[in-house]
Amino acid sequence: MKKILAVTMAAALLLLAGCGDSEKVISGDVVNVSTGGQQETTGETESVQPPEQQAQTAAKGYVFMTGGITVEMDGDMNPILAALGEPVSYFEAASCAFEGLDKTYTYNGFEIDTYPAQDKDLISAVILKDDSVTTAEGICIGDSLEKVQGAYGEGEQENGMVVYEKDGMKLCFILQEDSIVSIEYRSTAL
Amino acid sequence: MGRIQLLGNGISRKTGTSRRCARMGKLVGSAVVVLLGLGLLQRLLMPKYASDVVEGALIAEYYSEEKDHDVIFIGDCEVYENFSPAVLWQDYGINSYIRGSAQQLIWQSYYLLEDTLRYEKPDTVIFNVLSMQYNEPQREAYNRMTLEGMRWSSSKAASIAVSMTEEEHFLEYVFPLLRYHSRWSELGAEDVRYMFRTPKVSHNGYYMRVDVKPAENVPEGRILADYSFGDNAWEYLEKMAALCRENDIRLILVKAPSLYPHWYDQWEEQIEDYAARNDLLYINYLELVEETGLDFSTDTYDGGLHLNLSGAEKITKHLGGVLRQEAGLADRRDEEHLALVWEEKLAAYEQEKERQYEEQGN
Repeated sequence: MKKILAVTMAAALLLLAGCGDSEKVISGDVVNVSTGGQQETTGETESVQPPEQQAQTAAKGYVFMTGGITVEMDGDMNPILAALGEPVSYFEAASCAFEGLDKTYTYNGFEIDTYPAQDKDLISAVILKDDSVTTAEGICIGDSLEKVQGAYGEGEQENGMVVYEKDGMKLCFILQEDSIVSIEYRSTAL
Repeated sequence: MGRIQLLGNGISRKTGTSRRCARMGKLVGSAVVVLLGLGLLQRLLMPKYASDVVEGALIAEYYSEEKDHDVIFIGDCEVYENFSPAVLWQDYGINSYIRGSAQQLIWQSYYLLEDTLRYEKPDTVIFNVLSMQYNEPQREAYNRMTLEGMRWSSSKAASIAVSMTEEEHFLEYVFPLLRYHSRWSELGAEDVRYMFRTPKVSHNGYYMRVDVKPAENVPEGRILADYSFGDNAWEYLEKMAALCRENDIRLILVKAPSLYPHWYDQWEEQIEDYAARNDLLYINYLELVEETGLDFSTDTYDGGLHLNLSGAEKITKHLGGVLRQEAGLADRRDEEHLALVWEEKLAAYEQEKERQYEEQGN
């Protein structure tokens, strides 16, 4: 009997030992989704590289750059918002059942979407809306598939879209008759 | 001498049997204690969905109801936040229940319908079509809010099997303790209070909200690479329609008037075509805003995603008229027992309404 109790206690302790390091944990009633291990950027910004190259080396995946500001998937929206200023339009949506808000900030030519995690608003997507803005590699809406592939390589073609996956994010070019109609930077954390 | 020996062997055999019995008894006793302990631990650690994220409690509440419904709603938040069974009863004498849950995927709706048919056979099933946009499992947390509330049956097992994301395991649905064991560090008083019985959070599956947040700056829909609904989604819609036909149930498709997420014209065309081909009634409430009198500056509590009470009551009144005219559902308000059941339900509905308006300072 004592042996059984001892084994039970040991099993219970093992069971109760936290899964603190698991990437995705149902913590209480709220899902905390890991941001996929953001890289630390301290130190790297002190290099003598030009700003765009600095952003590319310090940030993860493909990044969107506007007015010297680097927008990275799963990055914190707060400093971006402070730098970009008031959006043209703002919308927030509570997700069904969960705490926190999904937010949409619309600026001239692009939109930034965020999701709540780790008590922050993290960037889930950047969508380029017209040809007044380009990707950091110089591609904009209206460009041809050939130009995209010249800048990024072959990519994965799926359902009318060319996708480039890098460091837990996706850069998607939506095509209509070989011409780009939408460009989306997407987080894969959700 | 031989007799004594025989007797001696008998005693020794008897003593051996008794020992084995005693040992077996201890083992069984220990096993019962361990299982009981683990069962209690599981109850303690599982989320209670009582005062926070109450949407997680909706699916389980159905089982304590009397099963004599004329209409069953199935679908995502667009059913449990936008239609009020209390209005269907009050104005039309139609007895209905909403088996809705957050981000309920279409295969989950199908298996919930299958599950419902184990208990009752409604005249009409109303399915909200927004979930046609999903062709694959989405998020574990939403899965759990739909699946854990279901009673065990082949329908539940099948629903789990098709709903799981890559990181999920069937065994963790059978023994939720395996999934929730890390909640021990955040247990609260509510986990103890509602360990065996959770409070009712809905009104026949309807989640009431009276607050107002006008719809403003609703973003236009993103351009999609492909607007076609996926094969999986179509397969389950087909299965749902077939299940209704087999059981002589009228299936009605609806699109609730939620402004966000965006409902694309291309999606609308596909549903209209399907409804026409299968002789199903389809009502898109986004196209009936004027007719129903919906006002998105007063009838939504979250900027156009879901309706508040006044919005839900407006479109439910319209739906009741359709159900009376198109589905020929009878007025059952003269049924004594049902009227008594609803008297109690309506009292709770009014009480909740009053409480929420008071909280809002109205």
